[in-house]
Amino acid sequence: MSAEPHIRMAVDVGGTFIDFVLVDERTGEVRIEKIPSLPDSLAEQFVTGISSFGIETGEIRQIFHGMTVAVNALIQERGARVGLITTRGFRDVLEMGRGGRSPVYDFVWRGPPPIVPRYLRREICERITFRGEVITPVDLEDVDRAADYLVSQGVEAISVVFLHAYANSTHEVQARSRLISRHPNIPVSVSHEIACVWREYERASTTALNSFLQPTVSSYLEKLLQNLSAARCVAPIAIMQSNGGVASAQTASKKPIRTVMSGPAGGVIGARTLCQRLEFKNVICTDVGGTTYDVAIIEDGRIIERSDTHIAGRPIAGSLIDVTSVGAGGGSIAWLDHREGLQVGPQSAGATPGPVCFSRGGTQPTTTDAHLVLGQLDPDYFLGGRMRLDVSAATTAIERIGQGLKLDTLAAAHGIVSIAESNMANAIRSKTVARGLDPRDFVMLAYGGGGGLFACAVADELSIRKVIIPPAPANFSAWGILTSDYVEDEVRTRVLPFALEHMDEVLEVLLELQSRTVASIRGYGFEEQGIEVVWRLDLRFSGQEYTLTIDLDSQSRDRAAMIDRGRTLFVDQHRRLYGHGDAETPIELVSLRCRAIGHIQVPPLAGPRRGVAPRENRQRLVHFNGSGRSLMTQIMQRDALQPGMRVEGPVIVEEWTTTTVIPPRWNVTADKFGSLIIEPTT
Amino acid sequence: LPAVDVVRMEIIRNLMVSATGEMADTLVRTAYSSLLYDDKDFGAAIMSASGDMWAETPGVIVFSRTFPGIVRAGIARWKGRFSEGDVLVANDPFDTGTHISDTSIYMPVFVEGQLVAFCGMAAHWADVGGKAAGGWCPDTTDMFQEGLCFRHQKIIEAGTLNQGLWDLIADNVRVPVTVHGDLQAQIAACARGADRVRTACAKYGRQTVLAAMDRIIHMTDLSMRAAIGSLPDGEYSGSIRLDEDGVNPHGDFLACLRVTICGERVIFSTRGSAPVARGPVNLPEPCTRGILASSLKGILMPFDATNEGHTKCLEFDIPSPSILSPPRPAPTDSYGYLVVCLMELMFRCFAKIVPHRCPAGGYQLSGATISRTEEQGDHPFVMIDTTHGGNGALFNHDGITNQLVGNGDLPTVPTEVLETRYPVRIDCIEYAPEVGGAGKFRGGMGVRKDLRLIENGCFLVYNIENTKDPTAVGVDGGSTALPGYAVLNPDTPSRRIFNRAAPTIGPLPGGTVFRIVTGGGGGWGIPFDRDPLAVLADVRDEFLDPQRAEELYGVAVVRIVNGWDLDTRRTQQLRAQQVTMSSFKH
Repeated sequence: MSAEPHIRMAVDVGGTFIDFVLVDERTGEVRIEKIPSLPDSLAEQFVTGISSFGIETGEIRQIFHGMTVAVNALIQERGARVGLITTRGFRDVLEMGRGGRSPVYDFVWRGPPPIVPRYLRREICERITFRGEVITPVDLEDVDRAADYLVSQGVEAISVVFLHAYANSTHEVQARSRLISRHPNIPVSVSHEIACVWREYERASTTALNSFLQPTVSSYLEKLLQNLSAARCVAPIAIMQSNGGVASAQTASKKPIRTVMSGPAGGVIGARTLCQRLEFKNVICTDVGGTTYDVAIIEDGRIIERSDTHIAGRPIAGSLIDVTSVGAGGGSIAWLDHREGLQVGPQSAGATPGPVCFSRGGTQPTTTDAHLVLGQLDPDYFLGGRMRLDVSAATTAIERIGQGLKLDTLAAAHGIVSIAESNMANAIRSKTVARGLDPRDFVMLAYGGGGGLFACAVADELSIRKVIIPPAPANFSAWGILTSDYVEDEVRTRVLPFALEHMDEVLEVLLELQSRTVASIRGYGFEEQGIEVVWRLDLRFSGQEYTLTIDLDSQSRDRAAMIDRGRTLFVDQHRRLYGHGDAETPIELVSLRCRAIGHIQVPPLAGPRRGVAPRENRQRLVHFNGSGRSLMTQIMQRDALQPGMRVEGPVIVEEWTTTTVIPPRWNVTADKFGSLIIEPTT
Repeated sequence: LPAVDVVRMEIIRNLMVSATGEMADTLVRTAYSSLLYDDKDFGAAIMSASGDMWAETPGVIVFSRTFPGIVRAGIARWKGRFSEGDVLVANDPFDTGTHISDTSIYMPVFVEGQLVAFCGMAAHWADVGGKAAGGWCPDTTDMFQEGLCFRHQKIIEAGTLNQGLWDLIADNVRVPVTVHGDLQAQIAACARGADRVRTACAKYGRQTVLAAMDRIIHMTDLSMRAAIGSLPDGEYSGSIRLDEDGVNPHGDFLACLRVTICGERVIFSTRGSAPVARGPVNLPEPCTRGILASSLKGILMPFDATNEGHTKCLEFDIPSPSILSPPRPAPTDSYGYLVVCLMELMFRCFAKIVPHRCPAGGYQLSGATISRTEEQGDHPFVMIDTTHGGNGALFNHDGITNQLVGNGDLPTVPTEVLETRYPVRIDCIEYAPEVGGAGKFRGGMGVRKDLRLIENGCFLVYNIENTKDPTAVGVDGGSTALPGYAVLNPDTPSRRIFNRAAPTIGPLPGGTVFRIVTGGGGGWGIPFDRDPLAVLADVRDEFLDPQRAEELYGVAVVRIVNGWDLDTRRTQQLRAQQVTMSSFKH
């Protein structure tokens, strides 16, 4: 008989690796593991990875899972055959889209094909106005005919999208019951449940994509649960969602569209948890992988979110963490454009063939090759010595690109790194300066395999005065998943003047959304009293189109105070973002949002990885940008930096999977949680 | 100017491009008019102190080349007397090149007391006064009927608002709240760009930034010359004739283009084009030049961030006066038809040189403006409906539908937003496949949209062109598409069909339905060469009925349980007959 379950586990599936983080709640011990990720046998590897820790599966209390099944299915367009039922006159909306194209000079541009072909889109007699009034009642026999036809065409999932369903969902509800009673084995997605917002194309796209994913995601999760139960693991699985919270496997099977940005969410959630502990309220989160540089912002303790995104050219509505990705990572390729200008990325050599120095057939120089040539990476200690890097091959590749620019090899290597860094800094500017935020008011948290290589230089470019490298930065996203709370979001579009006479209606809608979201969180076993409720409103000046989202006190029932506070918050934010905003101009409400949060217990941070041979501290020649010279530089092992110790740059800190560069005139200290704190030396 | 290393040069170039992106974003997020936040009928640019373009973020590419000219005209107008905190306004079509509704706001940027750059934001205003609500009037006879004209007035002078001008605008437009809101959004966008230019100068030094941008333009110029040099030498020409100018029933409205490629030179000539029209279809010369330059840039270097270097080597021969170079104060409010014609002529010429970069002919613009200026319990409104049509087929793919022809990123307004904002209801919005051109790859389809008015007293303006000499011609044996049209109260005995522009329809009673059908795109390649499986899919998707499949494509299909299948034998027969018949003809 094994002990009471006492282990919590996070499993984060990425493109190259699956990361595992294990927390033993009895001892506080944190352990990490990494195994290659093989797309065709993820459910098997999931169990293999768990067994590699050598624990009894009965000891596991809970598993949190960040998955890429949904996003991969969307990118590879491998999903279900979907049927779509729409309002009469509107079946072509899904295929016509909105008619824009972003590469405006590309005269031969074309968008992705519709996710549901025209013959699988059927129209129903029904009509509701923008105020939610029924003009034409739904013809349920029409629904039967459409459903029978779609089933005869072999659809595996059905979406229902009626015009203005966000204002009145009755017709969609009626259609769904009719569909389920007639064809009980076909999963049905209705637009007001998947994305209760206006704009029929975006809502239809989101709903149809949800149907498209449903069979794939639910069969993956079923298989996973089977494999786990075969390994005698009965711990519940929670799935990371795009909004940064977790939901049950059952919810994820019904609303898989909410998991598409599951991947980058973990690190940002971890960043919030870590920085709460370190008492930093404003954080720029940067995740450097092989291909991309992902930026997210925490402002005043809150992660900045957005309400829509695009994947493979198709829009998806719904709250998600606002992550900006630019093609600048360790594998980003340096090349010369038609203007003889030096460019870095967005093409990446990825893991295969990888940078030239990996000796796996790569011939084009990457940022990793440049760092190696500059001496910032140790050829004998990459991945803790698991991989030996070929310096001379990297040098030759960079020399070749330098010739085209009339630059020597070191200058070319500096150039490659500088351009990657400036692309990174521009990505941060677009999320801060462009929003009226000053990067100097923020600390930068850098994680992912390459975080420590670029952090100080990018911080310097933006005059950021503090850089934090968390413990085990390459596994930080997986650790972050372990710190996510259970989160349930609901939204409702209701276009109204933001004025006292409408506040009864506002409160009524918010309370309804609250009772629904709180009920879902209670379903996970949380007590109602412990559940946090957040209310938000999307507001705009009457006449504008785009909205700003502001918080509303979910405890207050003082309608006049709510209006005053809402107006002040909105006008202040509008002025900060755009430089103007008249306090007297009428304001309009567009959407109401409610989030219920069930808080989980936060685990300790990961310690050093066990089983990696300690190394002596040494010195080597390293080239730094800006200083224009090469400096004999101390190379330290991360374990050797004891809390409270301060080391002046230049210094390079090495650990398993990550190297951190501290340039001249910066210094590094380790804090009591094991994070590196890097600051300019004044 | 100091020498700049290649790395710093690239960093500064990227900074300028991302700054114009932020300008556009600021406009979209704060604008009041759906033409800006949804249709993106705008352009953002940063220019040097002498008006050379450093970077841009276009909504539509027609604005791309307008800014350098506007800034140069402003410099001449003020003899260089600008101060920090100035904001200027310009919409004179003979400076901007586009119609008077497109109002540009621009701002000089100073660093250490020196003028270093201009930031500009052009935007289509919801109204500028004039005889037609919302602009695009089909029957003006001079520019004074078209609206308020601004010629580089300082709406903010050294940081102080020109209240008189501000009020004058409000007092002379039909929707003052919207126009003031959009104007504020344009100013905010310019301020954002100026901020980024100053930051760049503070970091890298003013002289370094100037030297870097000079060098970027020079290098871009060299690569553009090389791109032209790689094309075979030759002369290519074409012409398109407009139906009418809205005023003169006897005029001739021909636009001609001859492109001569000779080594690294390219010469655009519009000789042979019609004289200045009495109605508003004239295209001011800056736009004639601009749209030819922007089209060439898109054909040769679609993904390169635009700067002055893309246009430096082009040569123009545009006789004046003509319909493509009218003198002030000629009417120009419906200038857009000739913009489309010139782009189509560019595609026709270059489809012979770089077929993979040019579509077959696309639909000509059409549109409806619905308005009510009387107070009726509710606010007056002007609703400009932009329904796109079919684009031409590509050499390897069917043409797309519901995309502004050639010109850029103009999304349409969602039905749910439109119905919330205006007293209209959309009864349907669907494909009109019958207007698209057939081909081995078929052209894009039209769009059919039924607008139902739900208030009394609304007026309608309908615009359409090139119904006789269509823009949407096929390539390599592909069919030419049908033009668009409109129907008032379709499916009723009192229906009225519009095959040409109608200046004012109304006042109309509530319940009136106005159907717009946009034109299709031309096909590419002989229809009988179309893959029979693609024809089968079109039948299955109800884009084509079985009879038309046989007539147009020589493909026979048969009904089977739950769908359609090919009748392979009959298809072979049909296609063999076609081959026999065409060999007889020769």
